[in-house]
Amino acid sequence: MGAKANKTPKNQKTGLTFVERISKSFSDFGKRFADGSPGTKLSHFIFGAGNFYHKQYIKGLIFLLLQIAILALMIFCPSINGTPYGWKALRNLSLTHVSEGGDFDPFTGQFTSGSDCKLMVLFGFVTIAMIFIYILLWNKNIQSSYKADMDRKVGKKPTTFKEDLKELLDGKFHVMMLTPTCIAATIFTILPTIFMIALAFTTYNSQDMNDLGTNLFHWNGLQNFRAVFTGEGSLGIEIKNRFLPVLGWTFIWAIFATLTCYFGGIILALLINKKGLKGKKVFRTVFIFTMAVPQFISLLAVRNLLGEYGPFNSLLMQLGWIAKPIGFLGLHPSDSEKLAKVMVILINMWVGIPYTMLMTSGILMNIPADLYEAGRVDGASTVKMFRKITLPYVIFVTTPYLISSFIGNINSFNTIFLLTGGGPTYTGYQAGGTDLLVTWLYKVTIDQGSYNTGAVIGIFTFIITATITLITYRRSKAYNEEDTFQ
Amino acid sequence: MSTEKKKRVSSQSRNRRVSLGATYTILIILGIIWLIPLVWIVLSAFRCQYQPDGTFIGRVTSNFFPKQFGLKNFKDLFTATYYGVPGAFPRWMLNTLIIAIIDCIISTFLVLSVAYCMSKLKFKLRKTFMNVSMIIGLFPGFMSMIAIYFLLKSIGLTGNPSHPEYSVIGLVLAYSAGAGMGFQIAKGFFDVIPNALVESAKLDGCTSFKIFQRIILPLAKPIIIYQALMSFTGPWMDFIFAKVIIGADNARYWTVSVGLYSMLFGTHPDTNLFTQFAAGCVIVAIPIVTLFMFLQKYYVEGVTAGAVKG
Amino acid sequence: MKKLLAIVLVLAMTVAVFTGCGKKDGKAEIKDDGVIRVWVGEESAEFYQKACDAYIADHSDFGYKIEVKGMDTGSIAGTITNDPTAAADIFTVAHDNIGKLASTQCAKPITDESLIEQVLADNPESFRGVIYSTLNDKQYLYGVPYISQALFLYYNKALVNDGEQETFEGLREAAKRAGTKAITVTGDDGFNMSFALLARKVSDKSTTVKIYEGADSASGGSKGTSNCQGDDTVAIIRWLQAFAEDPNGFKWASSDGWDADLDKDNKGVVAVIGGAWHYNTAKSALGESNLGIAMIPTFTLTDAACEGLSGVSAGDEYRGGTFADCKCFMINAYSPASKYAKEQDLIKYLSSKDVQNESYVECLNVPAYVGATEFIKKCFDEGKVTESQYNLAAMQVGMAEWGIPQPFITGTLNTYYYSKNGPAVFRAMIDKTAYPTTGDQILTETESLDGVRKGLYLVEYLWMHGQAPSSFPASLPDPA
Repeated sequence: MGAKANKTPKNQKTGLTFVERISKSFSDFGKRFADGSPGTKLSHFIFGAGNFYHKQYIKGLIFLLLQIAILALMIFCPSINGTPYGWKALRNLSLTHVSEGGDFDPFTGQFTSGSDCKLMVLFGFVTIAMIFIYILLWNKNIQSSYKADMDRKVGKKPTTFKEDLKELLDGKFHVMMLTPTCIAATIFTILPTIFMIALAFTTYNSQDMNDLGTNLFHWNGLQNFRAVFTGEGSLGIEIKNRFLPVLGWTFIWAIFATLTCYFGGIILALLINKKGLKGKKVFRTVFIFTMAVPQFISLLAVRNLLGEYGPFNSLLMQLGWIAKPIGFLGLHPSDSEKLAKVMVILINMWVGIPYTMLMTSGILMNIPADLYEAGRVDGASTVKMFRKITLPYVIFVTTPYLISSFIGNINSFNTIFLLTGGGPTYTGYQAGGTDLLVTWLYKVTIDQGSYNTGAVIGIFTFIITATITLITYRRSKAYNEEDTFQ
Repeated sequence: MSTEKKKRVSSQSRNRRVSLGATYTILIILGIIWLIPLVWIVLSAFRCQYQPDGTFIGRVTSNFFPKQFGLKNFKDLFTATYYGVPGAFPRWMLNTLIIAIIDCIISTFLVLSVAYCMSKLKFKLRKTFMNVSMIIGLFPGFMSMIAIYFLLKSIGLTGNPSHPEYSVIGLVLAYSAGAGMGFQIAKGFFDVIPNALVESAKLDGCTSFKIFQRIILPLAKPIIIYQALMSFTGPWMDFIFAKVIIGADNARYWTVSVGLYSMLFGTHPDTNLFTQFAAGCVIVAIPIVTLFMFLQKYYVEGVTAGAVKG
Repeated sequence: MKKLLAIVLVLAMTVAVFTGCGKKDGKAEIKDDGVIRVWVGEESAEFYQKACDAYIADHSDFGYKIEVKGMDTGSIAGTITNDPTAAADIFTVAHDNIGKLASTQCAKPITDESLIEQVLADNPESFRGVIYSTLNDKQYLYGVPYISQALFLYYNKALVNDGEQETFEGLREAAKRAGTKAITVTGDDGFNMSFALLARKVSDKSTTVKIYEGADSASGGSKGTSNCQGDDTVAIIRWLQAFAEDPNGFKWASSDGWDADLDKDNKGVVAVIGGAWHYNTAKSALGESNLGIAMIPTFTLTDAACEGLSGVSAGDEYRGGTFADCKCFMINAYSPASKYAKEQDLIKYLSSKDVQNESYVECLNVPAYVGATEFIKKCFDEGKVTESQYNLAAMQVGMAEWGIPQPFITGTLNTYYYSKNGPAVFRAMIDKTAYPTTGDQILTETESLDGVRKGLYLVEYLWMHGQAPSSFPASLPDPA
């Protein structure tokens, strides 16, 4: 885990790392086996045996049932859509025990389908997760029995099931609170993410597979990453030629989108909160109103408003300012890329400024009035006061927001996807002039079915955002205070 | 001397009036710019223009103000068959409402519980949990979309020909399952609640559960409302995830935003649905905007809590 | 202990979820729940549901319920290849998807003798090459045609004088009067490109373009011969380059949609090349009374276009071409064998001449069988369809004579034609822009004769090899 490397020394002193903690809990395994009661010894083979020994029947039963369930799953390998779980899934994970299928009986219509490699990989990971859980359970079950041994030794009674439940509402409250999230996030967030990362090391590319007339894919190591430099593979040329431009534009976009919205929002907030201004509420409402409208509605409205036959172009034409419609959003391949880029940044201001305005309004009100008073006494101009007092204060308070909004903008899918669709397109490439890494990723996976290439782009996006986060966020005040906070 | 002073005062107040006037002008211009696209969508929704021979014009036209107004788009929207589904739009509205309500309940619960643990409880894997959730959060979200589809499919919660309606449950799961990982804003809010409150309650012999229930929850009203608002409005706005999870072939169980988006961008060649799209947008936007305006205060609190504390 | 409870819950849920629903090791298959599901084009879903209901009423021993669902036909093939186990038992696709669906084993062959007989008896010879595909070195029938499709011309009767729609030059005159462009297309993919690529000389309907001619997948996938470097093709490209530069000439479809262009208020175009599936949109853009339907016009090669070419001469007249395609019924490979016989019976009925005829009257689907013209004419005479609806079918049948079915034998070849950027190079040539992505070789310009020749060589190479050549031959056209 990359995050570990960056731990501050202080951290290492105070707490054990995750890995150390795990290894520690296993290191006294020998000791437990030697000292433990017969129940504890038996627990090494049959889950819950120790608990039965100590008459903790419910707990023991839970352990036993879980062991049986997992072992049954591992041995009997139930299958879904023809792809099995269990030990077969581990074997399948190598993607070598695959069959092309296609045996056809013309009389009965019986058709043998081939192996489904993506499910093989997915189920393989699910099975590995199961094994991991099995090991944890094994350890827990011994621990639990050993603890009962110890309790008994000092003359205490082993805890009852009821007591255990009670403890869940107090000392172990976090377990109860976090369990649902842990389950759900493991299944629906962590596992899928690992799966997609794994695809970056395969040949899972619908187009290549289609060309070869196969449904199967296999592992191919770092070849997809190499394609960024060598241009191999069906999308290799795309990756090689378009990666740097898209990356560059992603950065330019993120910087401009963040800064324009940020300062625009502050200025707007200052304007609205100006002393003596009436109708503050009305103005605020107007801007918040645009923020409340779902983005896909407001952005599609803008897109059509500025479209080739939309009212805006026709107005300009009626005024005689232009002779033919301007392609503001690069929807046509011959439209200007620079204009499209400027337009998305401008329109993004339209989207983002109210948000910053809303956020900074509160902060502006909190600036101590005597600061301004002092400034006024010194005869500072409004601009100077803004530069010397307001801005430093706001920036100081909102640095975390700036960083997170920068990262948010790197991953800003909606604005680009809905406004330009990545256009203007380049003949022969998926990635157009305004495509960000994320929209490119979308096109490559959802439109093209090139999952391996998509995963490579995704991993690069992750590396970039992770680097920025690590550099700035973890060193920021908010994070470091977090340690001293408890 | 005194006249000079008066002069200065009056020139100052004149300056002030000028600058105030300028502020009004700028704000009014900006306000207009900000409202134009939305006004245009509303106007388009009520547009009712025809070709000379009576064919209805439903696509984008060059005139900002409609030449004729009418309710035809709304009527069509509620009665028309889209993607082979009769009465599709009301159906989509209902789907979305169901999904939004369930998602709202589950997500809010998950976020609050995680945020509370992270902010106010001490336990071994706390930091690990925070790091993992941060790392996972840095991957582009829809990278995992396909895998989620196949996971849901393998338990029959989507792509199930005999029970296409199960995909609604699948989508709720997909939306709310990861919600707990987005605890940062709520945590920022809880962090501000003084630890002393918690400590003194502990000394009084309160269990962690009691503290959560009696002390934290009553104080957390703004963040609960913020979180509920966010998770309730989410399904009304998402047009990518929902389509992949529910399935492009399963139009009956789409959410309203997938439906509206497809009306404009489906590979379906009919681009004549713009005014109906606009009408749909108005209908979707009204409840969301109302909710938002109503709960603005809480939204601001949430935003600020998230913004100034990482 | 308490953490244990957490794990218990995780496990209980996961185990229940993953074992509870799992079958024992088996073949991936859609469950046979007594329903046969059919996906057809959205516009005709209602019609086919009715037809199926009628079929069940007639065949009380059929034993299955039938559910028809309307789908966006453009995306059906993609939906199926994504996840065939979640797709219908019977579905319809344009025939050019057959190779892909067969080679990725998403579809299974049709073996019912009487159905094969019906298909061979009813359909034009030209379809036969494209509805078969190979499985285990054997040729099988995969698709059953039931709708035919070709490109033709929609034009604005209010702006185009009668007779002008017959030539590109005439349309240009009309456009000049109206201050618009003459003609557009509905997209820039390989299908729409066929209007230029497959243009044929009017005098003898000849063209030198060959796409996988004589390809034979049975013997391990010989790609046959392709050619798009003929002098006529070069001349057509150069003519189209000039026509696209003309202020009143050709334009690509805009993203706002070709129908916005067609609307006369927008001063976009006076005509558009499209298919029957664009009918409703074209009608709403122009209004029924202004909607003209005609064959794709002819054009005359200019001196400039023929300069330096020996195979053509200025004044030669060409007619824009088209792919003449069909939509087919196919059977999902994952559909259980128990349904197989019933599915074929049902397809036999749905693709019969009677049902095809009815679907023309009800949904304007142009029948695919030979001799449908008579029925179409009869419908018009009896007042069952309007004039533009009649024209729609008649022009399409007329254009079919000028077209060829989109060729494919295996999934591979067809993919090469479409997806290996051939259409993008084609577009770059017409736009006279550079085409940047050809490996190390960069096509820097497409303006000169040499540039066009290189472009066409590149297109042909992409068709045949699926990738760009490492270098261009010293002299073009390349005899190989």
